[in-house]
Amino acid sequence: MGNLLALLQRFHVLLLFVVLQIFSLSILFSENNFHRKEFVRHSSDIIGYIYEKRDAFTSYLRLSEINEQLALENATLRSLLPENFSLLDSATVLIQNPNQKYRYTPAKVVNASVNRNRNYLTINKGWAEGIQKEFGVIANGSIVGIVSSVSEHYAVVMPILHTKFQGSVKMKGSGDFGILEWLGGDPMFAFVKEIPKHVQIHEGDSVITSGYSSHFPDGMMVGTVAALEDKPEENFHRVKVLLATDFRKLGWVQVVKNMTKIEQDSLEHSQIILDGGEE
Amino acid sequence: MMNYLRILFLVILQALVVSRITLFDGLVLPFLYIFGILMMPFETPRWLLLMVSFLTGMLMDAFTGPPGLHTSACLTLGFLQPLVQKMLSPREGYDTNLRPTLFKMGTAWYVTYAGVLTFVHHTWLIFFEYLRFDHFFMQLLHIILSTIATILLMVLAQLLISPNKSRI
Repeated sequence: MGNLLALLQRFHVLLLFVVLQIFSLSILFSENNFHRKEFVRHSSDIIGYIYEKRDAFTSYLRLSEINEQLALENATLRSLLPENFSLLDSATVLIQNPNQKYRYTPAKVVNASVNRNRNYLTINKGWAEGIQKEFGVIANGSIVGIVSSVSEHYAVVMPILHTKFQGSVKMKGSGDFGILEWLGGDPMFAFVKEIPKHVQIHEGDSVITSGYSSHFPDGMMVGTVAALEDKPEENFHRVKVLLATDFRKLGWVQVVKNMTKIEQDSLEHSQIILDGGEE
Repeated sequence: MMNYLRILFLVILQALVVSRITLFDGLVLPFLYIFGILMMPFETPRWLLLMVSFLTGMLMDAFTGPPGLHTSACLTLGFLQPLVQKMLSPREGYDTNLRPTLFKMGTAWYVTYAGVLTFVHHTWLIFFEYLRFDHFFMQLLHIILSTIATILLMVLAQLLISPNKSRI
């Protein structure tokens, strides 16, 4: 017995170490480790309080980071606002009226050129919104061009500022018809040809759409006469027209859908075939 | 008393601040809190040092990690600390007014002392934390880098805190 006590005294440190180590390792490797862990963490109010204080402090330090996140979220939410959707066309007239000939779809010009010979506009409406080839495009009541190709959500418009563009126009006062064309150069001016020389034309006269072409309604503004640049050898006027549309500042446009266009076109086409071809 | 308050302060500092230092995706993770145990006077009875280590580990476990992990590692540290001190002792033993600090014992002594004990503690801790060897070299690197970081912090703490006059 005395020997044992002496042994214990001699190795008491090692014994204490072994006992405590067994204790701690048994906690570490106990079966329900999760419960012990949760118990130790949450049972102690003091430690919870300390961590809470730390969080209160560190979250203050993280303010700029939180700001950044909030700004990002703001941007995300803002992008959900209706005006950011190209598909929104609340202004589209959707009433199906058999007497309605023209329907308008607003579109935004997303790309435009004015300084080439063949300029094009890109608008953010496509066949998904009912846009088709050959539809007219207007802005603020004056003509812009004609849709030349369509994708799902976009359309490319051939504007007046394209050397292949031709439009049927007339003088507002006399009602004499002419062909509108653009010869390149200044994006402010186009020319009207094929108005006979006997027709009296004055500077400032309005040029409007004729309604003969199926692209535009009758009487849409095209521009005003800026000058007469007649040539003596020709029997027709060369009317220089100041275009009503400023293509350099074009933002929103409206696409004109002619509800009777197909009927009109097919009728005209069948007449041409009856006459034995287009010549 | 000062020793125990220091330990308490260092454990809280460890839990709130130092444990947040995770350089290189957690490869470097210093455990500065053992500095309090390493600072215990030479003449501390071994059983008392064991108990202090045990309670320090328990407190640390209460803050972080699975229970028993720091307790176990600190016990090992507390058990080995007097042995390392004995190994490094001068022939005539430690003077009664000496403390196991950088300035009292000199840089070479202190770095050896703290280096060995910190390495043992970290090895024990990280070994029992992972209990796997499929990333052996990664773990070894983790242990070595963390040990270096801990020793650097301990040296830095003493350089900053110790009054000038105590420097040798």
